[in-house]
Amino acid sequence: MRRILLASPILALAFGCATAQKAEPTPAAAEAAADTEAWRAQPPRPGVPAELVTPTFQKRVLENGLTILVSERHDLPLVSVNVAFSAGASADPAGKAGLAEVTYETLLEGAGQLDALALDKAFADLGTAPYVSVGQDGAMLGTQVLTRNLDAATALLADIVLRPQFREASFERRKQQQLADLALQVGNPRFLASETFAEVVFGEEHPYGKLSSGTPATVEKLTLADARAFWKRHAGPKAAAFVVAGDITMDQAEALARKYFGKWSGNAQPVARPKPPASSARERVTWVAKPGLNQTMIMMGRPAVQAGDPDEYALELASSIFGGFFGSRLNMNLREAKGFTYGARAYVDGRRGVGPFVASSSVRADVTGPALQEFIAELQGVRERPITEEELEQAREGVIRAIPGSFESVSGLASAAASLFWKDRPLDHYEKMIAAIEALQLPAVQQVAEKYFDPAKMHIVLVGDPQVIEQQVQPLGLGKLEQRDPLRPAAAR
Amino acid sequence: MKSVLSAALLGLAAPGLALAAPPAPTAEAPRDREKLQIPHEKYVLPNGLEVILAHDDRLPVVAVNLWYHVGAYHEDPDRTGFAHLFEHMMFQGSKHVPDDAHIGMLEKLGATSLNGTTNFDRTNYFETVPSHHLETALWLESDRMGFLLDAVTPESLKTQQEVVKNERRQTTETAPYGLADEKAWQALFPAPHPYHGAIIGSMEHLDAATMEDVRNFFRKWYAPSNATLAIVGDFDEAEAKRLVEKYFGSLPSAPRPEAPKVEKVALDREVVIRHDEQVASLPKVSVSWLTPAFFEPGDADADVLAMALSSGKASRLYERLVFDKRLAQSVSAYQQSLGAQSVFTIEAIARPGVSTDTLLAEIDAILDDVRENGVTEEEIVRARNKFETGKIAGLQSVGGFGGRADLLQSYNHFLGEPDRLAFDLARYDEVTPESVRKFARETLDPQRRVVLHAVPTQSGPSAAATQGGR
Repeated sequence: MRRILLASPILALAFGCATAQKAEPTPAAAEAAADTEAWRAQPPRPGVPAELVTPTFQKRVLENGLTILVSERHDLPLVSVNVAFSAGASADPAGKAGLAEVTYETLLEGAGQLDALALDKAFADLGTAPYVSVGQDGAMLGTQVLTRNLDAATALLADIVLRPQFREASFERRKQQQLADLALQVGNPRFLASETFAEVVFGEEHPYGKLSSGTPATVEKLTLADARAFWKRHAGPKAAAFVVAGDITMDQAEALARKYFGKWSGNAQPVARPKPPASSARERVTWVAKPGLNQTMIMMGRPAVQAGDPDEYALELASSIFGGFFGSRLNMNLREAKGFTYGARAYVDGRRGVGPFVASSSVRADVTGPALQEFIAELQGVRERPITEEELEQAREGVIRAIPGSFESVSGLASAAASLFWKDRPLDHYEKMIAAIEALQLPAVQQVAEKYFDPAKMHIVLVGDPQVIEQQVQPLGLGKLEQRDPLRPAAAR
Repeated sequence: MKSVLSAALLGLAAPGLALAAPPAPTAEAPRDREKLQIPHEKYVLPNGLEVILAHDDRLPVVAVNLWYHVGAYHEDPDRTGFAHLFEHMMFQGSKHVPDDAHIGMLEKLGATSLNGTTNFDRTNYFETVPSHHLETALWLESDRMGFLLDAVTPESLKTQQEVVKNERRQTTETAPYGLADEKAWQALFPAPHPYHGAIIGSMEHLDAATMEDVRNFFRKWYAPSNATLAIVGDFDEAEAKRLVEKYFGSLPSAPRPEAPKVEKVALDREVVIRHDEQVASLPKVSVSWLTPAFFEPGDADADVLAMALSSGKASRLYERLVFDKRLAQSVSAYQQSLGAQSVFTIEAIARPGVSTDTLLAEIDAILDDVRENGVTEEEIVRARNKFETGKIAGLQSVGGFGGRADLLQSYNHFLGEPDRLAFDLARYDEVTPESVRKFARETLDPQRRVVLHAVPTQSGPSAAATQGGR
């Protein structure tokens, strides 16, 4: 861990709003209370700021090309041990959405001499279970164990990575499970919105144009040969990282990596950065029917930035001010002022390639139209009511100061390390990020907000009752209403 | 992807021995339970507020965590959902804290794990702040404990009624199986049992809440004598005590309120509910029983059985229904441990084309086997490890759900002492194949349970699309 002492001129400012007293007690009440508690009206001054703790990462590369990433934490005898792969869902070939996820999941269906159940029991004997997670930019296989079980757990992970069985029956079982999982998801408004949103924002042909799960139509057609081909093409030491966090040193990690992954060979290369999608004005409002739904799921957004983009941190702050916190403009308006929703949020997802800016909320069906207008008004509002110094300082402090609290667990450290690998970030990413955020001035943040929050360029996806959408959204003139069913196996697909 | 997610959570919840003390526990050897202590100090202010301090300086953060010993259990049966609605009011400002500023102020200090939650037995409020902002967190918490009513307005109540009704729409009415699960729950706890409202309550009762209700509820249940403050993390002990005294010491005391006396409920038959599911796309069956309360005999047996039934690919229900026969998309079994009475639930979501009756027959066959033969020693050992694991992995965090502060609070609330981790885990050492068999025979009675069949309406476009996609 690295400790940074921030020269922060902004702490006092963060308290500006608290000193704005509202309820003046009536004379009688004040008298009754004898005002012995009046001192409470003054918010406390913060103590001496503690050093900011950021996670530290070490890196080595073995002769076969395998990257080793380590983040040490020794207070508990606990280790998160993983293999991160650079190929994620964005590496799915055209028409084979879901292939990465099914392939990685099939790894757990048998490895070395162990079938799926024996593998599950072998991990259970170490007091744990393996997991696989697949994102757009990469995938991770791993587990978390007591330090004394680390060697045995790494041996099992190496079996999975170096000796996967990829048997027909196992693949078929995994594929059927994926289809069953999808059959469940098609009832979920959020899933329907997210699937449609990816298609609308990036386009069906773009690597980010679908979710990692695929759709029933694409998964149905996957074969064992597809999975083997994906694995052969993408799995190799040059396109993977051995990621270990917790009670371990770099020397120990390197010894483990040599012992179990030293003979891993192969020439698979990291996948290329996805090309930026076209960014255009909105022409349509795309919607998915969910008859009788008494809330409407609203998702708005556009392609935004990739990791490392010069606008990245300014947009991060602008998105926070707009919708990144409970106290942000969007949530305070839709939830606290209007009572339209249980919550509204926005964020920017800087990926390996250009990722999206997303603003979303589930709103009461009968206020679908007014809620959409408020979304638009808040986006427009960034021009009409420019970001204030106070908003900026609050967002800046909130983002920076939340960093230590985000790294309490060894699994969180491992995920952060894998993310550096996937996005080609430097090992001192967090220090650089903090320095960049500290240095940002208001005009730059305002400029970026205006650049990215143009309502005319925000795509709109809705999931809700057809009548509600017809009656409330049509009159707003936001674009031609276009119904989609993201799960129908369209001939065009 | 429910099955994927649960596997991932299990993977993350691996065993760790608290506070770094070798030798590490093993499945075979008796565990070194003394090492599982969480050093802390507990004391009580003259006004009745309990205080728990636990120092831990791994990171420069400190968790402030308040439990009010009031939950849905303490509501008026004509005001279901009120304890939770009231929790929302606690974020609307108090005499010295501006309207609606609480969360925003903490967020801009870099607070994490910032929330309030209401369950059946208690309400908690927590935030993890950079350690130099401890005083701000105490100022905010003390102001709403002492001066909430000075700031409550009819307008803020009205807004939060709307927000909570939106929460009900989002988490119950438009959530897959939300309304179905609510029906099953209400069959387990018929009105006027205070668990009947399932915390969120009914739209009618939420609408009926008045300013007078807010005032009465606050005066009765939010007295310092009905609350416990935990501070866990990086702080100076003498300074923390001084600040606690400064902010909470002068809050007026009131006697600790008496919890309502509620008779235990029992089912006298099998209740079968067939629900026309409007949101989810696959049929689900769930079976639930009333079971012993949190920490009562039988509670640990229920936890172990749940693990043996549905944790991991080689668990009984998963292997048979999901892995082998491929009848179910997912299965889960869990004991929901509660203060008055607990609930044991088994649920399975069908794959397309499989009926809930088929799933129920399979579940019953597996349960019959457990009632006859119990579970194996090996299953108990693995369940024990995994359960221990889940608890101890939570110790990595000072705050948030299931972190150190919450754990200390939970033991304090249910057992009267904060550090009962070793006792809690020791309960699982006493579980035997025979005790699980006894639990299955006596408590999981086929004639005294609620069976829910939630079967989707087949007319919706999404259902049609599913069939088209297959």
